Amino acid sequence: MAGETKAAEKQRRALSLDGWAVGIALVLAVLVRLGVLKHVGW
Amino acid sequence: MASSTAVLRAEPIQLPKRLLALLPGVGLLTIVGLAGKALEKSISTYTKAHHLVVPNIEYVLWAILIGLLISNTVGVAGVFKPGIATYEFWLKTGIVLLGARFLLADVLRLGAVSLTLVLIELILSIGFMTLLGRIFKLSPKLTSLLAVGSSICGVSAIIATKGAIEADDEDASFAIAAILALGALALFTFPPIGHWLGMSDRVYGLWAGTGVDNTAEAVAAGALYSDAAAKIAVLAKTTRNAMIGFVVLGYALYWAAREGRQAVGSKATFLWQKFPKFVLGFLLISLLASLSVFNKDQVSSLANLSRWAFLLTFAGVGLRINFKEMKKQGIRPFIVGALGEVVIAAITLGLVLGASKIVKL
Repeated sequence: MAGETKAAEKQRRALSLDGWAVGIALVLAVLVRLGVLKHVGW
Repeated sequence: MASSTAVLRAEPIQLPKRLLALLPGVGLLTIVGLAGKALEKSISTYTKAHHLVVPNIEYVLWAILIGLLISNTVGVAGVFKPGIATYEFWLKTGIVLLGARFLLADVLRLGAVSLTLVLIELILSIGFMTLLGRIFKLSPKLTSLLAVGSSICGVSAIIATKGAIEADDEDASFAIAAILALGALALFTFPPIGHWLGMSDRVYGLWAGTGVDNTAEAVAAGALYSDAAAKIAVLAKTTRNAMIGFVVLGYALYWAAREGRQAVGSKATFLWQKFPKFVLGFLLISLLASLSVFNKDQVSSLANLSRWAFLLTFAGVGLRINFKEMKKQGIRPFIVGALGEVVIAAITLGLVLGASKIVKL
């Protein structure tokens, strides 16, 4: 039972992680598009 | 009143506290990643200055090796662990941003090729791993977890399946350890084989994306070959990840029937819950790039942001591998996993080489 809850929690976290990753990536894309972030080098 | 004020005060502190807890680990990821990048640059400068002919070792490998060295010698202190665990967040952010380098037409064309290969790979690898599990007398649920882990997307698929089939923690740990160990091995075997066979960046990328289990290792195996190969590896691996819901649903239904339990409720809801949402983010950025929302310079900036995110991911790949911990899990699941991986790598290699003769990749 405890294992089940732990797995469900991990699964829930993995999904919210996806949400955060997409959210942050979109914010970065908007900043680049608006010219706030320019010429990001490598 | 006092207690309600305390509650009101306590709430906003939670998030900054959680973010603060991530800082040491993220700092370590950054240092290891930058050290890898600096090593690549200084070795390349030195060899050029001394006219030495030495193959260039990419920052990817250096970052992984430095991480491995730290993790398996001095070890990683507890204070760094929450931040190191963010490597998966950086991986997904990097994949979404990389969408800017794909035109949607390319995604659909290559995605269709990848999807066909992935479907064949799924059927063959699940069948083969199930057979191996039976031969080696592993528990049926551990066999299911190993089959899902090696055929789809490593750790995430194992965690999703574990919940769906009600497998033990121990079985899941065994399967995860085997998949991680084999992913680490793939980093050192796939690139030399690719070079030995003279594979093009696109063909190799497709192989890394369909043959390597865990997403981080698949991207790293691609990046170790070339930037172009990493790009294709990401696309193929993302296609594979998108199949996770269907396979987990299949296993959930199978185990529910076998154990006489009630199967999942709404199948559509189940599929949506298991679908990796970052794939949608990748497609959205790719759509925006295809509609010329970003100019050339902006696409280049987004691609570089993606590379920075991957730099932290690769550092995390090395830092989380601990050979001592893996040894504790026992050798049998590892042998089953290793045998399965060799066969799956050979199958996917054959599929990719065959597809490259039929379709222009």
